[in-house]
Amino acid sequence: MSDPTRPPATVTVLPPGRRPTDHRAVPLLTEPDLQHYPEFATFLRDAFGLDRDPLGAPGLLDVEGRVYALVFLGRSGRPFPSGVEIHALVPGLEPIDDERADLDLWAILRWIVAGVGGEWTLEGLTTTGRIYRVPGA
Amino acid sequence: MSEGPAPATPDYPYAPRFLRVNGRRMHYVDETGPGAPAPGAPGAVLLLHGNPTWGYLWRDVMPPLLRAGHRVVVPDQIGFGRSEKPHESAAHTLDNHAANVVALLDALDLSRVLLVCHDWGGPTGLAAAATRPDRIAAVAVMSTWAWATPASPFHRTVTPWRFMHAPLVGPYVLGRHGAMPGRGMYLSVVDRARFARDAQATYERALPDPGDRALTWQWPRSIPIGRESDTTTERFAWLETQVAAMRLPSTIIWGREDDVFEPEVFAARWHELWPHAEGTHLVTGRHFLQEDSGERIGEILAEFAERSLR
Repeated sequence: MSDPTRPPATVTVLPPGRRPTDHRAVPLLTEPDLQHYPEFATFLRDAFGLDRDPLGAPGLLDVEGRVYALVFLGRSGRPFPSGVEIHALVPGLEPIDDERADLDLWAILRWIVAGVGGEWTLEGLTTTGRIYRVPGA
Repeated sequence: MSEGPAPATPDYPYAPRFLRVNGRRMHYVDETGPGAPAPGAPGAVLLLHGNPTWGYLWRDVMPPLLRAGHRVVVPDQIGFGRSEKPHESAAHTLDNHAANVVALLDALDLSRVLLVCHDWGGPTGLAAAATRPDRIAAVAVMSTWAWATPASPFHRTVTPWRFMHAPLVGPYVLGRHGAMPGRGMYLSVVDRARFARDAQATYERALPDPGDRALTWQWPRSIPIGRESDTTTERFAWLETQVAAMRLPSTIIWGREDDVFEPEVFAARWHELWPHAEGTHLVTGRHFLQEDSGERIGEILAEFAERSLR
């Protein structure tokens, strides 16, 4: 059972070669339009070096030992990346810990918002999460 | 979120009907009161909901209209209620949703219609009215808008409004956690205890899974707020021109406590566009005023329909 009172987990970018073997990808969250607020796309492009290698391996994030893959999406007529999918990498055929994954998603959102900056603040994200009673907030 | 299949809705006991609009399955109810026009005859009240509701929103509004002898047609917009819920974002442009209302008007061959618009029922319904002016006889608006600027202070705020539907945050908070039909509606009614007890679960169960909730975060993104990434500014500019030229019998109904579309700003703007309009009829209610004053709204509409449709 996850403990939502714990502080948000630490998120770090992993090099592409660190993708764990014998893990399957479980889609958790899809954003089809990063360009709705383009600063989100800019941050992810810079964080994962997408200018250098736009169609390379998915980006990898480590959240306290659990690994998530970011699959970037392109769409005709839109700047790259136009969207992104976040997948949990889960060992073998084991069921996913959905509550833990949900808290990790919140930690990933915090990492993204902190990176985007400007008018997008962790305080604003936390307030929004608390208003709508998101467990991680 | 409540779990389980969509429940029976004894407080919305109308026969489900389905048709296809632009290739999508649309659910609607089509009820007639005593003395209502025969099927196919002119005269109907069309109740159009917005985000994240469905025809159920109008459950307390309908009885006074039916008792007064009107035909009442209530669709679930594509993406909500018992209608098909496309997951792909391209299905959810304002133009596509407005075209769905046009297709509904055509498929049912509705004419001499009192068009009643709430929230996104305004931009979609009024765009359809501008496209099929010969089918519309009168209009009622409540907690809605049809112009590109100015956006309301609420819709410009980063926290919580723009954060709620920001990239990845929208699919997470509104999609994965279903915040719009749950906590979002709860905060936008006056009698929250009654809403939580009687209605909230019905709204939540109509959008059971994250993919089904795509429109709940995509429609907020379609409200122009003066940013370069706005996608609907041109359509709203067109719509405002069309609406300003409408001189149909009109009435304006608003929630006294509405803090999303404040009556002193938004109802006043409708009166500027439509100097001939009746109202503002202020009733108890926040944005989802039908939850607090459904029967009273039904009585106002029945009286207005009596004069504008007969």
